[in-house]
Amino acid sequence: MKRLCNIYLLLIVLFFFTGCAGVRDFLGDIADKIAEKNSEKAPEGTKVLPASYYLGKALEYEKKDELQTALFYMQIAGTLNPDSTKIPEKIASLNSTIDHKAKQHFTTGVEFCKKRRFKDARKQFLTTLRYAPGHKEALNYLKNRLHPKEYLNYKVKEKDTLKDISKKFYKDPSKDFLIAYFNNLKTDKKPVPGTFLEIPVLGSEFTRPPIDIRIELIKAESLLIEKRSQEALDIAEKILEYDHLNKKASDLKNSAYYQIGIELSGQKKYPEAIKMFKKVTPEYQGVKEAIQHVINKELVKANNLLKEKQYEQVFAVAGKILEYDKSNKAAEDLINTAFCQQGKDLIIRKNYTQALNVLNSANPQYDCVKKTISDVYKAKKKQAEAHYLKGVKHFLNEELQSAIKEWEKTLALNPEHKKAKKNINNARSLLEKLEKVK
Amino acid sequence: MQQFVNRRKTIFGIIFILSLLLLAACATSTRSRHKTSEIRINDDFIIVKATAKDTLSSLAAEYLNDPSKGWLIAEFNHIKSLTSGQELCIPLFPFNKGGLKSGGFQTVPVLAYYSFSKNKPSKISITQDDFKAQMKYLKENGYHVITLDQLLGFFEYQEQIPEKSVAITFDDGWISVYDIAFPILKEYGFPATIFIYTDFIGGGKAMSWKQIKELSEAGFDIQCQTKTHRNLTVLKKKESFKEYFKSLEMEISYPKKLFKKKLNKECKCLAYPYGLTNNLVIAMLKKHGYRAAFTVDKKFNPFFIDKYKIHRSAIYGKYNIEKFKNKLSVFQNMELK
Repeated sequence: MKRLCNIYLLLIVLFFFTGCAGVRDFLGDIADKIAEKNSEKAPEGTKVLPASYYLGKALEYEKKDELQTALFYMQIAGTLNPDSTKIPEKIASLNSTIDHKAKQHFTTGVEFCKKRRFKDARKQFLTTLRYAPGHKEALNYLKNRLHPKEYLNYKVKEKDTLKDISKKFYKDPSKDFLIAYFNNLKTDKKPVPGTFLEIPVLGSEFTRPPIDIRIELIKAESLLIEKRSQEALDIAEKILEYDHLNKKASDLKNSAYYQIGIELSGQKKYPEAIKMFKKVTPEYQGVKEAIQHVINKELVKANNLLKEKQYEQVFAVAGKILEYDKSNKAAEDLINTAFCQQGKDLIIRKNYTQALNVLNSANPQYDCVKKTISDVYKAKKKQAEAHYLKGVKHFLNEELQSAIKEWEKTLALNPEHKKAKKNINNARSLLEKLEKVK
Repeated sequence: MQQFVNRRKTIFGIIFILSLLLLAACATSTRSRHKTSEIRINDDFIIVKATAKDTLSSLAAEYLNDPSKGWLIAEFNHIKSLTSGQELCIPLFPFNKGGLKSGGFQTVPVLAYYSFSKNKPSKISITQDDFKAQMKYLKENGYHVITLDQLLGFFEYQEQIPEKSVAITFDDGWISVYDIAFPILKEYGFPATIFIYTDFIGGGKAMSWKQIKELSEAGFDIQCQTKTHRNLTVLKKKESFKEYFKSLEMEISYPKKLFKKKLNKECKCLAYPYGLTNNLVIAMLKKHGYRAAFTVDKKFNPFFIDKYKIHRSAIYGKYNIEKFKNKLSVFQNMELK
């Protein structure tokens, strides 16, 4: 009785301190512990349907190929009948079937993906997921890889600028701000090589050039027929800016440059004509012949200039020819002939130093160059001798000052002239003695 | 002495009776417990026997901590209601997140409404009676109108939703949604999402911020439909690409900030004006933290749909109930074996 009173008192105290909930939980915990104790003993203590019922259900779902549901029921049956040895075996077998089927369908799905049969692939991945709801790779295909992406990934190369990348993807360098925006970059800064950028995929309506290429091509063709080559060229280049692979625009560009070259050639502006012809692809019909024709004209011009002793102009014209055609023998001959002639002229003018300077710029393999250089030295020697004799004459006439001047000229032309050296010394000492006598 | 003992007995007797009364009072508020007749299977399932007092909702409250999840128990056990003594298997996890079956997969119709009228239907305006009839049809035919979060949970393969799930959305922010649709939805206990373009708010036929706030507080999901309702996919006349881009950024970022400021709620979804979108718009939505976006393409919505291209069926004013029923496809047949 006393013990009973104590329990009631405890309950009342508990009630006053914690209210209904406290008492409820206290009693609940006691009840839970009793229940747990019971369930630990044996599940058959509870009044539920027998394990065979759930086993039957599992087999029913297995037949319908609803393997996950079959597995659920099988696990329930296993818990209700822990002594069964068959159920764990059946569970293992079901798990193995599920794994096998999931793997099989996933592999088939990947194969379909590779063949770009996306509808078939989707069906396979869905089947995979039905068998194995936690199959992450199948889920990834379904949720991500089978959907078109709104970004493309691009690995930045050395020297890439955002404008280069924009031109590459959008055919428009001015869309660099778009790449900068989606990659948290600044347009005036170069992206770091090796990093990956997300490039938003734009629909054709935004990457389409602000010109109608078809119409522009027709316009350019008409302009070319009207010989308005520069205008045709401008259009062709504009088209190529947006579509650098456009064959028609490329052909038009070649034709326009060719036509401009012909026009300039007609105006005898040969160097300018050659410049234009050089912009035409070498395979373009007639361009090689046109270039040769202009070069020949330039060679004739250079020859005439040579006859007129306009050596500097010969060098300029022939030099230009060599710029376009490095192996042009005629132009090289002309240049060296001009050097020789210029050398000869300088010999006549007794300007031997200048003559040698000019000839040193020429190709020494040329016979005329070799000969003219030799002529320079001969002429120099001859001239030195003439000055020497003149000096002797002055000496005999007792004109010592004049004699010294002539021998100085001799030595300037030929520093090794022994007689001149000796005589000049004698003349100078005589002059000194005469000064002293005076 | 005997008298003292008798008095003590009387006092304890009174205390005993009082305590019994108190405990009895407590007991009446105690939830019904199934512990003695339940079996736990690997933390995944619980087998219980329903008592006469049990409902699917009470069992869901007891075991799943969510009374609205009675459907999960019903669907697993293939039942519609409970009978006393019935043995049930309660799944403690979403047992079929994608709604996949050997014969196909689950799809969710998302209905798009615009405005309402008392009795004059037009293309985008539905009469009060028609809307009521449509909601009644959903209720009576076992459809579950789910919330935006449930829908996103399903698309993200995180959450299982009832087999017959439907989502309701409203576009633009017409005042008739507040005046006509809101009371009907409240009556049926259906949740809904309202996509509003902010420049419309407070206009002649539009809801005011006060009304929007009221709907938000009543549990309606308020989401964005841009600032001006411009077509997000095309350049305006004489608009440069750069101007278009700047405009897109404003259309997408501005409403998000405004809703945060006015309603203190995160705008996580967007309905495309005219239902139209492109890659650039989607990239922009992702950059600004939107989780999903809605078109008005009439196709079905399985769990693996692109979340930025969720389909919706526009419900027009002159639809009869038969036409409405056709929009409620919840399963797509496909042999998944």
